[in-house]
Amino acid sequence: MINKATQPQNYSLTALRLCGFALIVILGFGVVFVLSNYVDARRVSLPESYDDSNLSFQGKRLKGFALGGEGLLADWYWMRALQYMGEKIIKADGNINIEDLSSLNPRLLYPMLDNATDLDPKFMAAYSYGAIVLPAIDRDQAVALTEKGIANNPDAWRLFQYLGYIYWRADDFANAANVYDRGSKINGAPPFLKQMSAAMRTQGGSRDTARQIYTQMRNESEDQQSRQNAELRLMQLDSLDELDAVNSSLKALTANGSPCPKSLAPVMPLLRDIKLPGGRNFRVNEQRQLVDPSGVPYFLDEKTCTAYVDGINSKIPKL
Amino acid sequence: MNEPTPKGNVFGRVAAIAANTFREAIRDRILYNLVLFVLLITACAVLLGDLTDGQEARTIVNIGLGAMLLFGVFISIFVGVGLVSKEIEKRTVYAIFSKPVRRAEFVVGKYLGLCLTLLVNTFVMGVGVSAALLYAGDATLSFSIWGAIFLIFLELAIVTAVAVMFSTFSSTSLSALFTFLVFVIGNLSSSLRDLGATLGSAATKLLLDAIYYLLPNFSLFTFRTEAANGLVPNAPMLAGGFGYAAAYIVVVITIAVAIFSRRNFK
Repeated sequence: MINKATQPQNYSLTALRLCGFALIVILGFGVVFVLSNYVDARRVSLPESYDDSNLSFQGKRLKGFALGGEGLLADWYWMRALQYMGEKIIKADGNINIEDLSSLNPRLLYPMLDNATDLDPKFMAAYSYGAIVLPAIDRDQAVALTEKGIANNPDAWRLFQYLGYIYWRADDFANAANVYDRGSKINGAPPFLKQMSAAMRTQGGSRDTARQIYTQMRNESEDQQSRQNAELRLMQLDSLDELDAVNSSLKALTANGSPCPKSLAPVMPLLRDIKLPGGRNFRVNEQRQLVDPSGVPYFLDEKTCTAYVDGINSKIPKL
Repeated sequence: MNEPTPKGNVFGRVAAIAANTFREAIRDRILYNLVLFVLLITACAVLLGDLTDGQEARTIVNIGLGAMLLFGVFISIFVGVGLVSKEIEKRTVYAIFSKPVRRAEFVVGKYLGLCLTLLVNTFVMGVGVSAALLYAGDATLSFSIWGAIFLIFLELAIVTAVAVMFSTFSSTSLSALFTFLVFVIGNLSSSLRDLGATLGSAATKLLLDAIYYLLPNFSLFTFRTEAANGLVPNAPMLAGGFGYAAAYIVVVITIAVAIFSRRNFK
């Protein structure tokens, strides 16, 4: 039987207990929050080599022993490869040259992509990413990965396109032409490969050829990073065309001994009559400044009276 | 072993036990694992876009089908090993066998009931993966994965049969352990056989060949990585896999029935 007189006392005791529990929980989480930040801020900094510790497993040895989960492991290596490069780029704080990434020391990128494609030999995005990024690190590794892709997927004409691209970037136009030619013989290969084979033999180093290669890559690559890279390269080609026109106009302005202008504004009337490839027009921002394809104003070096891409603010890769 | 021959429809009695086992599994909240699975797949669909650089569809397939197999194997093992032994421990088996039910009908009915649970579970998970793929914008993969899902179900059906067989003569924990080992070795048997061929020892080769043929060869049902690349298992693979699974299940359930029929409950 409940003693009515003690009931309010019991209720207040329960409420007190609940408040006590709530206080402990809140205080506990508060302590956890503070300690978490405290320990995190005082973490022993690891040597840089820690990030690059060798891979624990080799994909080809894991194959067959992953209980059928090879695809999942391949995805894991793929994500690790992306994060690995991302971390390297973030650490470099934007000071990267996409023509030569060896300064980032990304020595594990190839083993990761190699593992991913050992575990899933049909992983086209990994081959594509390797073909685009590895030439800036180690061309032989880029060729090895893409050749492996061709051996595993002999009907994938896209891999021939990537291999041709790797040779083209190394100015090895003869090999590039051969590879494009081999690719063009595959059933379902687009006529573009045949055209590229011919272009490599006749005008391998031309800007038009580069434009064709990067346009194809932007439109058809399997991964976003390759598409973004191709987009940047196309911007770079556009800016090269624009700078050729701007600099020849600057030369014309100073030909009769006139001083170099303080800005590019006096050049702009001269540019109106110039036709850029593909019928493009020069870009101007709201302040009526001449800008590069990424929207950053061109930089004018008054000493040499030459216009350049702004190496600090522009997204366009340095040459 | 001299059981009285019950009159009436065998299939009707097996179906009744199977339906009861299915209802029991639902009551035991077995299908609650679907909530976890849906959360996992939803998280994959939403979060993987950036992490995989546009390769979220293939990763959804790899994670989805991998989780489907893993969840299914856990259900097969932990529910399968308890199907028969629980009835014995709770002594409800006496009540069942006081009715005109053969022991073989009991084992087969129990097995089919759990298979039905797994079928529903696998189907709902398959729908979840397909929906996630549609969300990720890959309608083709959302249809092409169903061949691989069918193969996963066949693998689960074999694991369940093995679990039921062990549960007819062993304790629950040992049965679970044995079944898990069979699942692991069955997935490795093909690789182990290849390894045996390269080792050069005749005895090792014989042993690994014996393992390959005696234990279920789950590599026949492994098509997850290929499915993530948009490939579809061909008709011989599906039909052959179905035939292999059916034959293996018949053998294992027959052994289970033979052991259970000789078992003394006193």
